[in-house]
Amino acid sequence: MKFWSVRIGSILAAVGFCFLLDVLARTNLGSYGQRILVLIGIYITLAVSLNLINGITGQFSIGHAAFYQVGAYLAGYMSLRYLVQQHHAVPAIPWLIGMMMLGAAGAAIAGLIVGLPSLRLRGDYLAIVTLGFGEIIRIIVQNTKELGGSYALDKIPKIQPIWLVWLLAIICVATCRNLIKTARGLTFLAVREDEVASSAMGVNVTRVKVTAFVIGSAFAGAAGALLAHYEGLITPTTFAMDVSFIILTMVVLGGTGSITGSIVAALFLTYLQEYLRGLKAANGADLAISGNLVVAGLLATIIAVVAIKRLMESHWGTPTKRGLIYVAIIVVAVIGTRFIAMPLHAVKTLAQMSVPAGQLRMVIFAVTLVVLMLLRPQGIFGHHEFSWSWLQRLFGKKGPTAGVAS
Amino acid sequence: MDLVPHLLAGLEFNFQTLPEQLVNGLFLGAIYALIALGYTMVYGVLRLINFAHGEVYMLGAYVALFMSYWLGYTPQGSKETSSIVNLLMMLVASMVVCAIVGVLIERFAYRPMRGHSRIASLITAIGVSLFLQYGGALFLPSSPPPSINEKINPFRGSTHLTLKAPDQSLKQQIELLKPEATRAQAEFDAYLQSHAGASEFDPGPEGKPLKDAANKAQTKLGNAEREYATSGVGITIRYGELIIFCTSVVLMLVLTYLVMFTKAGRAMRAVSHDFDSASLMGVDVNKIITYTFIIGSALAGAGAMMNATFKGTGLTTFFGLLPGVKAFVAAVLGGIGNIPGAVLGGLLMGMAETVVIWMGQSQYSDAIAFVVLIVVLLVKPGGLLGSNKVEKV
Repeated sequence: MKFWSVRIGSILAAVGFCFLLDVLARTNLGSYGQRILVLIGIYITLAVSLNLINGITGQFSIGHAAFYQVGAYLAGYMSLRYLVQQHHAVPAIPWLIGMMMLGAAGAAIAGLIVGLPSLRLRGDYLAIVTLGFGEIIRIIVQNTKELGGSYALDKIPKIQPIWLVWLLAIICVATCRNLIKTARGLTFLAVREDEVASSAMGVNVTRVKVTAFVIGSAFAGAAGALLAHYEGLITPTTFAMDVSFIILTMVVLGGTGSITGSIVAALFLTYLQEYLRGLKAANGADLAISGNLVVAGLLATIIAVVAIKRLMESHWGTPTKRGLIYVAIIVVAVIGTRFIAMPLHAVKTLAQMSVPAGQLRMVIFAVTLVVLMLLRPQGIFGHHEFSWSWLQRLFGKKGPTAGVAS
Repeated sequence: MDLVPHLLAGLEFNFQTLPEQLVNGLFLGAIYALIALGYTMVYGVLRLINFAHGEVYMLGAYVALFMSYWLGYTPQGSKETSSIVNLLMMLVASMVVCAIVGVLIERFAYRPMRGHSRIASLITAIGVSLFLQYGGALFLPSSPPPSINEKINPFRGSTHLTLKAPDQSLKQQIELLKPEATRAQAEFDAYLQSHAGASEFDPGPEGKPLKDAANKAQTKLGNAEREYATSGVGITIRYGELIIFCTSVVLMLVLTYLVMFTKAGRAMRAVSHDFDSASLMGVDVNKIITYTFIIGSALAGAGAMMNATFKGTGLTTFFGLLPGVKAFVAAVLGGIGNIPGAVLGGLLMGMAETVVIWMGQSQYSDAIAFVVLIVVLLVKPGGLLGSNKVEKV
């Protein structure tokens, strides 16, 4: 009885949360804020679904944008072709849900096709194949006239329910979280840890890998369908290689294998992207940063990373003491950027250069990836998940000891 | 939306242009082979896909660009002639700077990651690659597309080799048609001369048949000449591309010498064979890895300089992305870790690409690399010359 009440209660809470968010967003936020909210929801879906493949099953895929693209183009094309033709006779929301399913199915088939080579390939080879697959899809779309070619698939009927985007994100999180709590889900973790050993223990490695690819890509496809109907216009560059890398950065930053980490990283990085793009200078134009400040920032990052790395390896003092010094180093680096920038101002070409803040976003992602790998390769959360018992322990209460965490 | 007919619809098979395209492919493949050597050597010693290798290649092209500016061949420059010394200076500058960049990347990004998992190294490599692409875009010129001034290249001409002589009977036909065409044109011209009111476009009622006859004869002659020209099989070779090919071959021979007949080369082969045992036997592994990066990056720099100079493509910071991926595919195709394999794979990749263009599908010439990659990995993961040993966990 308690089991069912908890289940039904949490489902109702999730749906209620989505509708509340929708109402709040529509009343309080402008179209810009709503768009950011939608993008955050979509990126959470993408990051968590990639985490299922990369982090939980351990199959390194860096072509997630391909599945996103398959879903978006499939749903967008069908809507353009049939919904517009029937003069919107079908109610919008059920149609959109149908399109999400269609996009998910299409992407799942694509995921199956990519998942099959993963049976023979490992690690870096698989990464290259997924990257290549993404590029093949993009080139095919670019050369298909029906899909708008290299211009855009335009005039897709706009259906913009914010709640559905977030409901998809919650379903995706719930699916992945519940999956790894089941006995079947443990086989996914087993494959990640040791393929040969798990196969010796009777795990059907083939099936696990392909299932991970199919589920992960299906969610990406559904997210693509939502994006197509939210924006009303999609181009092949919306799904270029850098989108795959952005999703990868989210997963890696959060911690490969940690769903909580992926959610937090997706939230933070999506907001950061839009924040950088939306930064305005005092005169209302897009904010531009002078070249010497950019170089100074890079130098300060390098110095801080080297200092932290040295300290980490020295095992000096207690963890708390070291933590405080890390924070101090970061603060000094942030303040020091200004001071390093001053002598660099003498270099004319740098001082005269102005870099729009929006252009820095991929540079920041790249630096994040490298710095993260150097200092904390397991990501911020490692394999840890958010849980109530963890919260209780944080506040000094002695909660139940963690079960099969990670 | 039906994919297969869609793909097959535009295929053309004109066998008279095939030899020329294959030779072009060979020249293109020489560049891919140079880049692929860097991938394959680094993979051999470190078991790491050096994602940033394409970006090293990109930087090499920029170094060549700046060197050409320094030599006075700016877009507004007035220098008209050039000599081979300028080209050699550019080549050396590219190779040196690329070698330095390669060593720096290895020292500061890859070496700290050596104890960690291979995926962590791979993510670092991706990060470095993205950083050089997007960070470079902030500082390096890309718009309007800068390209190396073609005046710096003294080898701009081309030569035509005839493989099969054109049909002689067609030649006679042309000889027969020529007087007819000249006569009709002359008649029409005479008519225009004698009638003051008539112009070429409005010849008047009497001139009209004359004009038609002249046009008809000209068209016939033109058709015959075109048929004559396409009946033979020939290859047009640009000197620049020939130089790319020859230089690449020379560099590969130097590489063979370095790897096969020097002490460091032997150490490199030992590290590639078994990393741990080699270090136990007293090989300074770090030094050998640095050495590998120097050679691999310098080869990429040479390829970049030659490609940017002799082909004159515009530069952006994404200049190295596709060549890098294609060269990686070439390395996999030949068997990654295998040096002759990389050369073979590079040449085959270049030819595969031009064959796709030859079939009239130039928009898919970038996709063929990925198709080849997937097919190779599925059918023969060891590559053409590589070992067939399946990698154990």
